[in-house]
Amino acid sequence: MRYLWWLVRCQPWRVLRGSLIGTAWMIGLSARPYLIARAVDDGLRERDTQALALWVAAIVVAGVGLSYLGIMRHRTMTFIREDAKARSAEVLLRHLSRIGAVLPRRVGAGEVSTIGGSDIDWTAQALTLTGPGVGAVVAYGVIAVVLWSISPMLALCVLVGVPAVGLVVGPLLRRLEQVESVYRRQQGALTARSGDIVAGLRVLAGVGGRDLFARRYAARSQELRAEGYRVGAVNSWIDAATVAIPGLFLAAVVWLTARMAVTGDVTIGELVAVYGYVATLVVPVWFLLEGSYVLIRGRVAARRIADLLTVTPDDVGGPGRRWPGSVPETRRPDDPGAPDGPADLHDPVTGLTVRAGQLTGVAADDPAAAVALADRLGRYVVSDVTWGGVPLREVALDEVRARILVADHDSYLFGGTLRDILGAGADDDDERIGAALRTASAQDIVDSLPARLDTPIDARARTLSGGQRQRVRLARALHSEPEVLILVDPTSAVDAHTEARIAERLRAARAGRTTVVIATSPLLLGRADLVAHLSAGRITATGSHADLLDRDPAYRHLVARGSEEAYR
Amino acid sequence: MSRLPVADRGTVRRALRDMISRHRRAVGVVLALHSAAAVAGLAPPWLLGTIVDRVTAGAGVATVDRLALAIAGCVLVSALLSRYAQYAGHRFGERAVAELREEFVSRTLGLPVSVVERAGAGDLATRSSVDVSTVGTTVRDVVPTIVIATVQLTLLFGAIFLLHPLLGLAALAGLPSILAVTRWYLRRASSAYLAEGAAAAELTETLTTTAEGARTVEALRLADDRVRHGTSRITLVWRARRATLALRTVFFSVVEASYPLPVAMVLLVGGYLLSRDMVSLGAVVAAALYLQQAIDPLDRLLQWTEQAQRGFASYARLLGVGMVPPEPPGTTASSRGERLVVRGARFSYSDDGPDVLHGIDLEVQPGERLAVVGPSGAGKSTLARLLAGIDAPRHGVVSIGGCPVTDLDPAERRRRIALVTQEHHVFIGSVRDNLSFAAPDASDEQMRAALLTVGAEWYAELPDDLDTQLGDGARQLGAAEAQQLALARLVLADPHTLILDEATAALDPSTARRTERALAAVLVGRTVIAIAHRLNTAHDADRVAVLADGRITEIGSHDELVAAGGAYAALWSSWHTRVDER
Repeated sequence: MRYLWWLVRCQPWRVLRGSLIGTAWMIGLSARPYLIARAVDDGLRERDTQALALWVAAIVVAGVGLSYLGIMRHRTMTFIREDAKARSAEVLLRHLSRIGAVLPRRVGAGEVSTIGGSDIDWTAQALTLTGPGVGAVVAYGVIAVVLWSISPMLALCVLVGVPAVGLVVGPLLRRLEQVESVYRRQQGALTARSGDIVAGLRVLAGVGGRDLFARRYAARSQELRAEGYRVGAVNSWIDAATVAIPGLFLAAVVWLTARMAVTGDVTIGELVAVYGYVATLVVPVWFLLEGSYVLIRGRVAARRIADLLTVTPDDVGGPGRRWPGSVPETRRPDDPGAPDGPADLHDPVTGLTVRAGQLTGVAADDPAAAVALADRLGRYVVSDVTWGGVPLREVALDEVRARILVADHDSYLFGGTLRDILGAGADDDDERIGAALRTASAQDIVDSLPARLDTPIDARARTLSGGQRQRVRLARALHSEPEVLILVDPTSAVDAHTEARIAERLRAARAGRTTVVIATSPLLLGRADLVAHLSAGRITATGSHADLLDRDPAYRHLVARGSEEAYR
Repeated sequence: MSRLPVADRGTVRRALRDMISRHRRAVGVVLALHSAAAVAGLAPPWLLGTIVDRVTAGAGVATVDRLALAIAGCVLVSALLSRYAQYAGHRFGERAVAELREEFVSRTLGLPVSVVERAGAGDLATRSSVDVSTVGTTVRDVVPTIVIATVQLTLLFGAIFLLHPLLGLAALAGLPSILAVTRWYLRRASSAYLAEGAAAAELTETLTTTAEGARTVEALRLADDRVRHGTSRITLVWRARRATLALRTVFFSVVEASYPLPVAMVLLVGGYLLSRDMVSLGAVVAAALYLQQAIDPLDRLLQWTEQAQRGFASYARLLGVGMVPPEPPGTTASSRGERLVVRGARFSYSDDGPDVLHGIDLEVQPGERLAVVGPSGAGKSTLARLLAGIDAPRHGVVSIGGCPVTDLDPAERRRRIALVTQEHHVFIGSVRDNLSFAAPDASDEQMRAALLTVGAEWYAELPDDLDTQLGDGARQLGAAEAQQLALARLVLADPHTLILDEATAALDPSTARRTERALAAVLVGRTVIAIAHRLNTAHDADRVAVLADGRITEIGSHDELVAAGGAYAALWSSWHTRVDER
């Protein structure tokens, strides 16, 4: 609720304008029945041409005025909603961007997609209440006064009757929605199935089974049709009731009024006007009923947005990051700070030491241990890793991120042009990009794209093959030129020819800078200055690749194994 | 990329006419019921007019009671009729939609893979999801609404004409401006709303991907970048919404301003006619009320026309899929022998494009293991597709047992030659569903055995055995598990020739190792052509073919090639010199 209130407070004048116009419009709605009644009474019945012309002119003017008010109301309310949506999207965006690695552990991606999609909309929708919502209450009052002046008894009947009808019909419509939602879910599942068939078309082409899938889909489709029949049977009754109940109420009002017209308590024109007022009153009453429902949903949605906004970034057990704009932390006297230049990294858990300025290879027999090691070296978890003798967790996270890059083998590729993906601005010179691409042996990817570097690529780069994606990731990591680069399985999906090329170029490109390659490929390890064998959670041997092949049988087995087992 | 075709307007109209004539009776019943309901709905204003006349004439309470009761009766009758009309319409809609989507899926399943791949799977995916459901909503909800509204409007205006022809003419006063602005609006609306939808989807996608890639955002310090990207998306959404708002502003103001015109005209003309005693006061009042009543169906009609237009466009795209000639059935049902022969095969992906393969000659003996190695872009995957019969060579021939593979009946071809790629897909459905389509006659025992053969030990932990549901909200399989499932399928399909196109390349190394072990179980006793990116595979094959720039540059056993000292030998030495000596 506080979040909703905040969205209102961000645009006070617009909301005020919305309320005023909304009110004017609602009241205006009741003008037409009144004017028609006057035209009938004063003009037609009295056969007074002048009066008739006058009232007819008034009807036209009122109609134009009402249409103006109506559209202004719609415009203002649309702006209010859009403003709220844009504001919500922006705060979410800012927040999501800075939470960082901890986010996937706290919130599922599906949830973010729901919040980003429908919750923002529902929250904004609730603001509609500020305009027509206020207007509905006022309009209701105005019509009450007018009716009262015709006949207090009638007024009571109508003023109680219309909301009563609304309260009966409202839940029926809600029920309609529920019945529909089951159907829609099934429909969604069926759509998912046809999407599934499209996605698996190549598999079906490779192995067969098309007829079977067509039959299976048809069976599901028939089930949905049967469900549709059931829904239709229920819905058509509900629909009929929602029409019949207000219709009967209207008939009752007409009957009462007509009886009063017979006795002369009301005029003929007033009889027609009452008929019109009842129809008009439906609008504000309906708005209020609908509004209360929208408000409930909007509150739930706003709560979910607020919850997501309270997820905080993880400081990983030390000084956190300094956000742009916030006051820099003053360094405590005992705060050792980061090493000023390149320095050795040491991981006490495994006993690994990464020498500054060298290319270190790590061959791990357990991929999970390799990932854990990378997480510690990059300070994604709390650990006792030291950097130039300083505990890494004591260094400001900002600085760690700026100087040490862990390039996961499944790191995320955002949508955008290839240039964007590589993290290069438009003014970035192509030479640096070219160099990174060359090192990652990825120029052929650029050449195969229609607009080369400026080709848009969708998120996760699904249009690229596994090997191409991997090389793009590698090029991106290289392009950011971190002081320390930790590569996890950078070439596992690349063919041997290309891998050999990458290994050679990687060494040249990172010459003199600290680089860790965690992999089991002999082509990569063969180029490392120093190779460490990580077995059962500890470094069991270090030396050159050739060295280790000679004296460490387990290492030899680790780097040589692979598909050959498949053939034996 | 050549997109899938879209049906032209004529074709769509013909298809619509066919559909209606197929359901002639249902359509007739629906229209008749709706008309009857609308007629009953016309009575209340007319009765009110009668009340006005009678009361003016000095009628008593009894008359009023009778007429009011008649109003109530009409309301009830109208509601009942419209209930049955709606139900009948709903059933018709359901039937029509079911026919439509089933036909679309069966057409989709009949598409040649090469066509789908060239058009991009995205196009077909959009048609199968967005277009199918758009057409579905259109037929189920939009068309009935439009039909009802049209029937009601026709009858309402007809009724005014019946009251007096001049009143009827007067009632048409607002129509020209409404028609004009509707035409104007419809010409712009669809594209504007589609753009709005696309912009909104992009914003949601930006938020979602930012969340998905949160770790990468932190690692590469992309936060500012993401905010900038997202802010530009927000601006785009805002702009798109403003564009549609501008359209609505013009449209709704003209339409709403037009509503009082017919009322005014009817009153004026009514006043004139009344002064000549050509109509009763009641008739004029009834006409004015009919016009008030017409606003609602007119509003609905105008609001939904845009939707209907979109449904029409979606339908054109669905029909377009049916315009692609289905995969040819093949001229030969079977061939003798399993010897795979390639003679002078050339291939290019488009008619005027450069050749990807330049005259490949290759023979693979039954039971042989051939590894194909070479740098990316050398044409390895293209060769695999020719061998599997997915594409036909532009020149030359690929034959199995002396019969061109593309002449084989597709079903038969798949039974004999299976292509395994790094793409694997788990279908929504049970484990059994995911296996049985490869071999419809396989027993549960055979399926379990197949799963064990490929080392899918996880199968034992499944809660519902073969009936465990997979995919889409149910149990998700990991990449290795999915690949094992695909391999179990192969065991069941039992082809004599397997073409492996880097089947394990997209998996992380440890998963790849497990999968390769599973693969070994499948390979026993079959002809295998393996496109390999790991040299171990080549080392263990009977022969190795090195592909470079669309040509086979070296071919022979591993030892022969190493001895020959060519490109393969060089690569091998950097890979394995020392491991070999163990």
